Amino acid sequence: MKPMALSFLLFLMVLVLVAMSLSFGAVSLSLNEIISGFSPSSEFYFTIHEYRLPRTLLAVLVGGMMALSGALVQGVIRNPLASPDILGVSHGAGLAAVVLMTLFPHVSVYWLPWAALCGGLCAALLLWLLCGSHSSAIKLAITGIAMATLYSSVVDFLMLTRPLEINNALLWLTGSLWGRGWDQVAMILPWLSLVPVAFWLAKRMNLVQLGDDVATSLGVSIPVTRLFVLAISVGMTAACVSICGPIGFLGLVAPHLARRLVGGRHQILLPCAIVVGMTLLLLADLVARTIDPPIELPAGLMTAILGAPYFLWLLLRTK
Amino acid sequence: MLRFKHLSYLRQCVVLLLVLLLFAWLSLFTWSIVPVSASQALMAIMAPDDAIIAHHIVLDIRLPRVLIAGLVGACLAVAGAIMQSLTRNPLASPSVLGVNAGAALGMAAVSTVTPWLGFFGISTAAILGGAIAWGIVMLLGTAWRGGNEHGRLVLAGVAVSALCAALMKAMIILHEDQASAVLTWLAGSVAGASWHQWQHFWPIASLSLLGAFLMSPTLNLLNLGDDNARSLGAKLGWTRVICSLLVLVLVGSALSIAGAIAFIGLLVPHMSKALVGQDNRKILPLTAIMGAALVVMADTLSRAIIYPTETPVGAIIALIGAPFFIYMVRTRTA
Repeated sequence: MKPMALSFLLFLMVLVLVAMSLSFGAVSLSLNEIISGFSPSSEFYFTIHEYRLPRTLLAVLVGGMMALSGALVQGVIRNPLASPDILGVSHGAGLAAVVLMTLFPHVSVYWLPWAALCGGLCAALLLWLLCGSHSSAIKLAITGIAMATLYSSVVDFLMLTRPLEINNALLWLTGSLWGRGWDQVAMILPWLSLVPVAFWLAKRMNLVQLGDDVATSLGVSIPVTRLFVLAISVGMTAACVSICGPIGFLGLVAPHLARRLVGGRHQILLPCAIVVGMTLLLLADLVARTIDPPIELPAGLMTAILGAPYFLWLLLRTK
Repeated sequence: MLRFKHLSYLRQCVVLLLVLLLFAWLSLFTWSIVPVSASQALMAIMAPDDAIIAHHIVLDIRLPRVLIAGLVGACLAVAGAIMQSLTRNPLASPSVLGVNAGAALGMAAVSTVTPWLGFFGISTAAILGGAIAWGIVMLLGTAWRGGNEHGRLVLAGVAVSALCAALMKAMIILHEDQASAVLTWLAGSVAGASWHQWQHFWPIASLSLLGAFLMSPTLNLLNLGDDNARSLGAKLGWTRVICSLLVLVLVGSALSIAGAIAFIGLLVPHMSKALVGQDNRKILPLTAIMGAALVVMADTLSRAIIYPTETPVGAIIALIGAPFFIYMVRTRTA
């Protein structure tokens, strides 16, 4: 299928999922009721405008950004097993956010993304110090996972010693869109400015794919590109994690699916990965919310149930 | 430490046993909400007096807790040592290779979603779940080939663990909204230990520990490699089946009592290998003693950290174990 037709199809799928996400939940609404829900006079105004619309928007934004950062990392390290959560970046960011929330409860929540960014950067730096730039795919992944285990055991410890509200705890351990609203949408909006930068780097990333020597002889500075792309990716991951917690496997699965659909050219791959990520997270959140209302599962559980087998399959194919 | 390493094996065992007893004694009376003195803790066991409240606390609450903590630690540590020999992989342990998560999933499935499977019993479900998860990991991680594929096996274990954990959390959240109890159980805790649990636990656990000690000469042969082991008369198939069963019973019974305590099976065998070398006949008993001591100590600490609230013991062990895991990954993978 041509990339144009395919992206149109994917876009349509996102629209359908957005509509479904607005319509299903503890109360199911018809399409007319959804449209009327946007005006303040309607009885569904609260459900739609205050509850489901920001949540759906967040699923779209976070899904897209997580998938994009996964695609960037995979492109620039040339490692099929890499993704922000496998490399421990999302858990590092989550740990920093949890530390801020539990140890300094009086600090404004608007500092959360910045704390998460620091945590994510530290985690990335630490991994780079441990592994250097010439580690095998498996060694890099396993070191990242070991680091992630450490971060999540510290998060566990903080959660268990200072009981927060339990839904909050699950959010920080598995990732969820529970209880997120317009405030969080406002928090994530500034970080969208990183997306055009990522697109601008797409051409260079194509050259990086050719190998270090070829890319250098074609005029691309490998270290600068790598640093730049990784920094953008860590920034986007940190922004997402500070809002939704570490949603597992999304940054791993979405870029792979996109690559199977449209191939490895980054000008097409990056947008496609974004749309696939949106689709996956919308779907995960929808299923997690509607499987047994009013009880909610964290969306991170759904992505893990989907993503872990995919990771195993990738592992089998990695030489 | 260096001088301790040069003691004879028997003396090392005796010293560690004394340390274990010391920890156990400390655990009986320290950080107690109702004050219990050190001598009362001893007297309660030697000459119990019905009239003294402290004696009741020691006998009915503290003693089963210490015993269960120790036995759970011994079971998990020995299971880790067996797995490391079995897979010839220094990173192998029940939590890393998915046995913990699989057993937890089995227990959650029996107690929440499918009560009609009730005739299984919780421990059987834990053993079955652990067996399935471990089987999948071994198949996907191409474990039986041995060699340098240490990392692949661990990654397969991590992925299977993630899947099992997600399924289990989903089941538990859907079934009941007591998520905090779930978190505590997931971290592992011996706070609710009772004599009733102990009576169900110790026969299985001590029998399988004994079985593990009896298997240790054969485990030594496995360390030599498949061909060498075969030529020395080891029946590889049977050894693997029996050892796997032992691991599953040890882990399953420990988990059904204390929840998912991680990293013991990774940490402790390496500590005892540093002391006595690679001979499993020496490693396994020492591992059992040290595992017991570690969990008893961590359990005492778990009461101390935010006195008077209890912190799950597993959370403390994870804080010790996770850096060690990173160290092992750095030094033992190709």
